Formats: sequence, C-alpha cells, structure tokens
Amino acid sequence: MTRSPVTSPLDDLIRAQKRQRAAGLRLAALSTVTVGAASTLLLGLSGWFIVASAAAGAAGLAAAHAFNVLLPSAGIRFLAILRTAARYGERLSGHAAALRALAAIRPAVFESLAAAPPTESLALSRGEASARLVQDVDAIETRFVRLSAPWSAAAGLGAGVALALLAGWIPALSILTAASAATLLARALARRYSAPARAAIQARTGALKDSVAALVSASAELRAYGLADWAGETLNARAASLEDARRAAARAQGLIIASQSVIAGLAVAAAVASAAPADAALAALAGLAAVMSLDALTSLASAFDQDGAAREARERLNAVLRHRPGPASASATPQSLTLLGQTLGPGERLAVSGPSGCGKTTAIEALLGLREAGSETPRGAFAWLPQDAGLVAGTVRDNLRLAAPKASDEDLWAALDEACLADRVRAAPEGLSAYVGDDGERLSGGERRRLALARAYLRDAPWLLLDEPTEGLDPVTEAAVVARLDARLQRTGQGLVLVSHRAAPLAICPRRVQFGAQEKGPATVSPSLVSTL
Amino acid sequence: MIRPIERLALDPPNPPFLDPDQGERISPPYTQLMGARIVQFDRRDLAKTWLKQWERTVAPTVRRASLLALVDGLAAIAFAAGLALSVDAIAQGLGAASLAIWLAVAALALAVRGVLAMATGVLGARAAANAKAALRLTLSRAVFAGPRRPAGEAATALVEGVEALDGHVARFLPTRLSAGVLPLLMIAAAAVASPIAAVIMLGTLIPFILAMILTGSAAASEARAQFQALERLSALFLDRVRALPVVLAFQAEGATTTALTRSASNLAERTIRVLRVAFLSSAALEFFAALSVALVAVYCGFNLLRLLPFPVPEQLDLARAFFVLALAPEVYAPMRRLAAAYHDRQAAEAAAESLSTFEAPAPRPARAPLTAAPSLRFDGVEIRYPDTDAPAVRDFDLVAPAGSITALVGASGAGKSSILNALLGLAPVTAGAISVNNNPLTDISSDAAWAGQSPLILPASIADNIALARRDAGRAEIAAAAERAGLGPALAARPGGLDFVLDERGSGLSGGERRRLSLARALLKPAPILLLDEPTANLDAEAEAAMIEAIREAARGRTTLIATHSEAVAALADKVVRL
Repeated sequence: MTRSPVTSPLDDLIRAQKRQRAAGLRLAALSTVTVGAASTLLLGLSGWFIVASAAAGAAGLAAAHAFNVLLPSAGIRFLAILRTAARYGERLSGHAAALRALAAIRPAVFESLAAAPPTESLALSRGEASARLVQDVDAIETRFVRLSAPWSAAAGLGAGVALALLAGWIPALSILTAASAATLLARALARRYSAPARAAIQARTGALKDSVAALVSASAELRAYGLADWAGETLNARAASLEDARRAAARAQGLIIASQSVIAGLAVAAAVASAAPADAALAALAGLAAVMSLDALTSLASAFDQDGAAREARERLNAVLRHRPGPASASATPQSLTLLGQTLGPGERLAVSGPSGCGKTTAIEALLGLREAGSETPRGAFAWLPQDAGLVAGTVRDNLRLAAPKASDEDLWAALDEACLADRVRAAPEGLSAYVGDDGERLSGGERRRLALARAYLRDAPWLLLDEPTEGLDPVTEAAVVARLDARLQRTGQGLVLVSHRAAPLAICPRRVQFGAQEKGPATVSPSLVSTL
Repeated sequence: MIRPIERLALDPPNPPFLDPDQGERISPPYTQLMGARIVQFDRRDLAKTWLKQWERTVAPTVRRASLLALVDGLAAIAFAAGLALSVDAIAQGLGAASLAIWLAVAALALAVRGVLAMATGVLGARAAANAKAALRLTLSRAVFAGPRRPAGEAATALVEGVEALDGHVARFLPTRLSAGVLPLLMIAAAAVASPIAAVIMLGTLIPFILAMILTGSAAASEARAQFQALERLSALFLDRVRALPVVLAFQAEGATTTALTRSASNLAERTIRVLRVAFLSSAALEFFAALSVALVAVYCGFNLLRLLPFPVPEQLDLARAFFVLALAPEVYAPMRRLAAAYHDRQAAEAAAESLSTFEAPAPRPARAPLTAAPSLRFDGVEIRYPDTDAPAVRDFDLVAPAGSITALVGASGAGKSSILNALLGLAPVTAGAISVNNNPLTDISSDAAWAGQSPLILPASIADNIALARRDAGRAEIAAAAERAGLGPALAARPGGLDFVLDERGSGLSGGERRRLSLARALLKPAPILLLDEPTANLDAEAEAAMIEAIREAARGRTTLIATHSEAVAALADKVVRL
C-alpha cells in the first residue's frame, strides 16, 4: 500500500506483522467483500421489490397474486443478517490484527532507541520519544486496517454496477465513472489538504508532549515561583498549533465527504435519468445502486484521509528504527582500564577529584559509552552509580533487579545491607515492594544514592564506577558506607573508580588523580534526533 | 496551602507502573482497606459530575453543531422525496421536465448534506479546541499549584487525558442532541406519506432504545481498563526513557523491552475488548435497522399489491411508498451514528475518572504581599506523607527572627527538605502549626525564593531559564543576578553567554553550575523569604567557598532557611538547628 518505493525498517516490521497476522487480515478482507456486496444488493432488492409490487398491484388482483412476494422478502432478511455478521467479523478481525501488530511494534521502537548511538538516543527528549511510541505507532494502525478498504469498495461497486446493468449499460457506466471520479478526487484532496494537516498533528503532538514532560518534571520550582498559570499558558501556546492542524484536518475531511456527496448526487441523477427509458422499477434500482456504490467508497476515502498521518509517523519512526539492535556481541572483559591517563589493573582503586564542572562525570559516562557511539564499549565490565542516582519509577525491588534480573530477595537484602539501607527498607511496611516514586521522589537524597549504590553492588562486574557515592549523607552514615565499601572491595577483588570531593571516601583510594579545569572540553549541545529528520 | 490529610488519604498514589518481573500492578496499600470499593464508587460518581459540569462549558457550540445536524435531516428528507418523485415521474410518464426537476432536487439535497457534514466537522473541531484549551489551564493549575502528583500521571493527564475529550466534544455531544430529535422528524415526514408506516417506525424505535442503553452500560468498565492500560504504557515508557543511561549501563535493554512488550500487549488486548463490545452493539443496531427497513418495505409492498391480510385505511401509490422506503434508513442513521461515537464518550468518561481527581487548589484568602523579611515560627510541627509508617518530621520547633539565616543540619532522611517543602505547601503538615509574622501560614509561594536540589532546566537560553523566577525582569537584572550567583565564568566559557541554549537534559551545565543557575533565580526574585535546599551538594571545597559568598549576598535582607550537610554552610548561619 505504501507509495514510497524505498523500503524502510518500519516497512519491514509491518511486512513481518502482516505475514504473522495474515489469517485475521484475510478474514477481514473476505468479510468486507461480503458487506459491500450485501449492502448494495439489499437496497437494490428492496427498491425493486417496491416498484415491482406497485406495478403488479396496479395491473390487477391476478397479477398481484402471481407476483412472488416470498422470494424477495426472504432475500431481504437474509441479506440483512449476512451484512450484520460480516461487518462485525470485518471490524473485529481487522482491528484485532492491527492492534496486536502495533503491540509488537511498540517494544521494537524502544529496543531501537536503546541500540541507537547515545548521542542520538539521549538527545531525544522524553516527550518526543513517548510521542513516537504511543501516538506515532497509533497512526500506522491505518496501514493494517486500510488493507480491506479496496476490497470493500470493489465489492460494493461491483454489486452496484451489476444491478445497474439490469437497467442498461449507460446507468452502469455512469456509476462506474462517478466512482472513479470520486476515488481520484478523494485521493487528490487528501494529498493536497489532509496529508499536511495530519502530518502536522503527529509532529506537534510530539512537541506538546515534550513541553509537558519538561514542565511536569519541574513542578516544585514552578510552584515556588508561582508559575502554574504560566505553565498552562505555555502549554496552550504549544497546543494552539496542534489545534490549528486538527481544524485543518477536520476541514480536509469535510471537504472529502462533501466532494463524495456531490458526486453521489450527480451519479444518482445520471443513473435514474439514463435508466428512465427502461421502466420505473429499473430506474429505481439504478438510483439506489448508485447511492450504495458511492457509499461503499467511504472506507477507501477515509483511508486516503489517514494516509498523511501514517506517512509522517513512518518518517518519525524510521528515524528511531534504523538503529535496530544487531546480534549481541560478547565483548571481552578488559584486563585493565585506562582513564585520564591512568591505567588500572584488576582490583585497583582510583579516586578522581577536581573542581566542579571540570568534566569528571563526563569522563565516567564516556567510559560507559554514554557519550559517543561506542558499540565496542564493554559495558558488562562496569557497575555504575550515576551522579543523579538514576532510579526508575517502581519498587525498591524493581530498581535493584535492573542490575541483576535473577537475584533472589536474599541477594537484594545483602546488597542493601552493604549500602547501609537495609534497616530503612525493613522499616517500611512493604519492604522491598515499597514504591519509590518517580525518580525515587519518595526517598530523601541520601536514600536515593544508597539505593543506587546497592544496585551497583548487585551487578557482577569487575569495576565499580561510583560518582559521588556519599553525597547527601551525614558523617556517621558516610563512615559506615565507606567502611562497608572498603570491606566489600577486599572481599570481591573488584576495582574502583571513585569520583568525590569528600575526604572519607577518598581515604580508601591509594591512587588519586586531580582533574584540572583546563582539561575541560568545550560544552556542546548534541543535535537532537528531531533536527536530523 | 497544606491539604488536610483526610483528602490525601482518598487520593491513591496510583503508581501507573508494572513491576517488570511480576507483570502486575503494584497495588497501593489503600486497596487493601475495607473502604476501598466505596472510594472507587465515589470516584465514578465524581467523574460523572465532573464531566457533566465540563460539558456545560461547551454547550453553546455543541448546540450550533446540533442545529446543523437538524438541517441535515431536512436535506435527507428532500433527497428521499426527490428520488421518490423522480421514479414516480417515470412510472406515470410525466415527461422529462418533471423528472429533471426532481432529480435536481435529489442531487442538490445530497450536495447540501455533504457541505453540512463538513461544517459540522469543522465546528466540532473548533469546539473541542476551545474546550481543551480551557481544560489545560485548569489542569495546569491543579498540577503545578495543587497537591503534588507523580510526574507520569500528571503528564499523561495533560496530554492523553485532555486529548481523550476531543472526540467527545467534536463528535459525541453534537450527535447526542440530534439523535433525540432527528428520528422523530423523519417519522413525522414519513407520516405525511404513510401514517401506518410511521407507526411501524415508531414501534421499531423501542428495541433500538433498549440496544442503545445496553451499549451505554456494557462497555464502560472495559473502556476504563483500556484508558488505564494506556496511562500505564505511556508512563512506563516515559520513565524508562528518562532512565535510559542507567538502562544502557546496566545492559537492561532486554528486561525493559520485555516489560514494555507486556504493557503494550495489555493495551492491545484491552482495546480489543472495548472494540468487541462497541462493534457488537453497533452490529445489533445495524441489524435492527435493516430489519426495520425490511418491515417497512414488506408493508409497503403488500399495500401496493393490495394483499394485506387486514384492512388498512390507506392505499399507497409508488411515490409515497418509495419515499417512505428511502427515508426508513435515515430514521435509524442518527442513532447508529451516536452508537459509533459512543466510544468517544466512553474514552471521555474513563479519562474523566483520572482528570476529576486533579483538583485546583482552593482559593486562598487574599493577602497583601510581605514588604519586609518576616519572622517564621514552627510549633510542634509534624509532617507525615501519605502511605508512610512514620512521620518524616516530628515535634519540630523553630523561631527564625526576621532577616536571620537558619541552617537545618541533620542525618540523611531527617526531614530537612520536608520542612522547607512544608513552607511551600508541598509537604503535608499533620500536626502543629507554622506561622509567618505570628499569623498562621497561608500561601507564601509569592513571597519565597527557592533553590532546590535538582533545579528546573528548560530547553531555552540561560537568560530565559533565570528569568523564570520573575518574567518581567530586564536583561540587566538577569545579568546581575547571574553574576552575583557566580555564573560569570560559566557564561564566559559558552558561545553566546546568557543566550546559550540548553537542551532538556541541561547538557553542558555541570552540577555546580545548575546550583548557581538556581541561586541566580532566587536572587532575581525580590522575595523576603529565601529557601535553599542543599545549595552546595556536589561542589568541591573551592567551589563551595565561592558559593557561600554568593549565598551570603543573596540572604541579605531576607529570612533564610538552608537545609545542608555542609558545616561550612552551617557556619554562615545565625542559628544552626540539628535534626
């Protein structure tokens, strides 16, 4: 169905899903053929029945008795039942296949985002990323649902033309001509007016989500500065362009409907007029056939209408999906580690200090391959405590299991104990199942840090990368955390890279490197994925 | 303002996340309470009331759209009449002129219907846009000034929640008004041609109305479950994208993808269930419509054949019979359209259940802004978050004289940040009292400047980021605040200085620079109360010393509370409180 000749990752995914859901999609197409034909035949038959009855009734009692009323009225009932059942089957099987296909495509979007070079994936804002996974994937539903639209149109039109042929070839031809004109006009109008509006809706929904995500994550400050109304106005300013696009899309849709109606009116007039020489019954038949034939094109016209959204969504999704994850390469664990000109052997400890903003955190993130394309980064060699803790929304257990999916609860408790957080978690009634909130907002700064530390401990990796592990801790807790860290390192033989300003953690590192401000690289803003489109 | 605890207890934390391993919703503790079901029912009523009130605000536009639908009904009658009379003209041999007139009427009527459909669509979209803009303002006020909500929930409400009402206003409401009137209008028109056919149509409306009621009640709970699944997927994805660096570093892509797969197929299955009910009810309506049309057709046919087994007071001719038959589907069409739009209604009801829980903050008594640094007083204050077993702060007493600097020092988790938050109404004070100038605490956010642990970075220039604290500030004032907060070297190192544009993740700003930006905001706002939450965390000794100077400068002439671990910062204070 795609007009673009170039194949793309999304097309590949869609093709695979079409193959997998072929049975459901075929059933939908088959049902739609039945619906289209049955609807047209139903109205045509009813019309003919009335007119023929009138003729027979007028001709006298004998003719009326000779007129077979049972066959047409049974036929009408049969067609009504058939049409109802077929339409239910078509809608359900078509939408179910489409929705299941979308459910398979959504995780692939995340997978690709994770496989993308960090310069791209981390530059894509949360709102944009979420708009792709939700709204853009929703928009490609039409690529599955519309598969049955041409069948439905063909069946309705075919049945209509066949009925009209009874009245002569001119009515049939006029219906056929009108249907072709309606289809071509709908497509042209959709391309000219719907496509840009629908594409804008996709893009602007992403931008709106972006603003929302940025504002919501800053709600505390917005409140402190009394910016609630400002936030609402900012959102509405962003949303205004989205609503403009929606209005344009409604106008375009209305234009398509109006054009179809005008053509249908002309087709009815032409069909009745050209069938008039035959007789009244056949003229009625031709008129109703024209109405139904044009009506059967509705689903095709609405598919054209949706195309713009699907095409824009395709572009936006392809920008992410072109990074499909390759086969996992088992990168060997390095024997030694080089950082800031220092080479560390297994089990060695290095402390990094330096003035704020000199790039210590950046150096650690570069080591993890989070700063540039680094497919060769042996991430498996590192257990990391990020500077901002980096907790996920979920329970204590969710956060810990991120590092060790198969760890037992005993393992989790042991790690919490080493991070001096076990008592705190035990005190909560839900224990490991306690919900920590978005980014751990239900925990204090020090607790978040220690939960992230326990998570790092759970990862079976030769090096610990701890970025400010004791920030936000009082001196007593800090001393306990450092002592347990020291004991742990002696026991496991893990190496350590520690970033800190504080004396207590620095004391357990025999080697130190001072990171000077002069080594700081230029501050750069990575180009966002959006701008590469 | 501080919310009473009872209200908080009714607000479930409602974490919209799946446990990646268990695949189940983590049930918040309140669902285990006996009263949980009652709370749920109350909420449903609340949602209905909320939706009804909100519908009232869009009523005028909706009425205009419904009026167009009524005109559309007249056009439908004209089409049926045109078609019937043209067929009659052929049968009677009335000649080409009369045939042409009636055919022109039919064609014109269809064209008018098309234009009306377009106008209705545009009008509906405009009504929806206005309604959504008003809702966004209300919701923003609730999210950013009302009780605190989890970020994912708030973001979903502001985008998906608001959008869920689009179809309700644009399609359902206009259809609902016309669905009540149009069938009767059509039947009245049919009665002109054949009173008995009209009576038959009237009778067939009864199963229709029953089917409509069934549609309305059957799918509501499914629609709710579907909206929740959407909320959960959205929030889960939003969160994992935020935590992407950690997911990558811990090589948890696989597990995260699995969790998303589960959440996505849950949404698909929920949606399919909603559709199944929706399609089934529209199939039922369609079936009744077809049977009713067939019934009318059979009556007309037998009447024309004069074969009716019972006497009727009317004898139809072709024109009248055909008119009634062509009109019959239009009697049911408005109700079928309503059924088709019913999922818009259900989506709106499901969303309303979430949206109605976002309460705008209660209007506060108007109060003159403070003109000078006030005294602050805490008497036996207890702060206890909902769903926690122990209070975060207990029996806290403090007297901070006007213009003094107080440092709150204590172990992690001792509640230093909670005390600052309580002043802003962000933490629930469950016992004791806070007073400002010996008056009970009201909303002081307009009198307070605040620098927190993780400052807001907007994707905008550094100047715009600072100006957030006072939007009418001039360029020179912004530059002065930046300089006083010690941002000078940071600005000098970046192209464009104050005009350097930051991205959403604040790329290019170090932790210390973010603190300074936050302090620059506090300096820009001429507020007599200054609240600083860990202003020197993540700073080395040298940077901390420079920061302390900036704080000393910022605190001049204000009543200042600082939560800190640093003894160096505490040394700056007139009074040190150890928690």
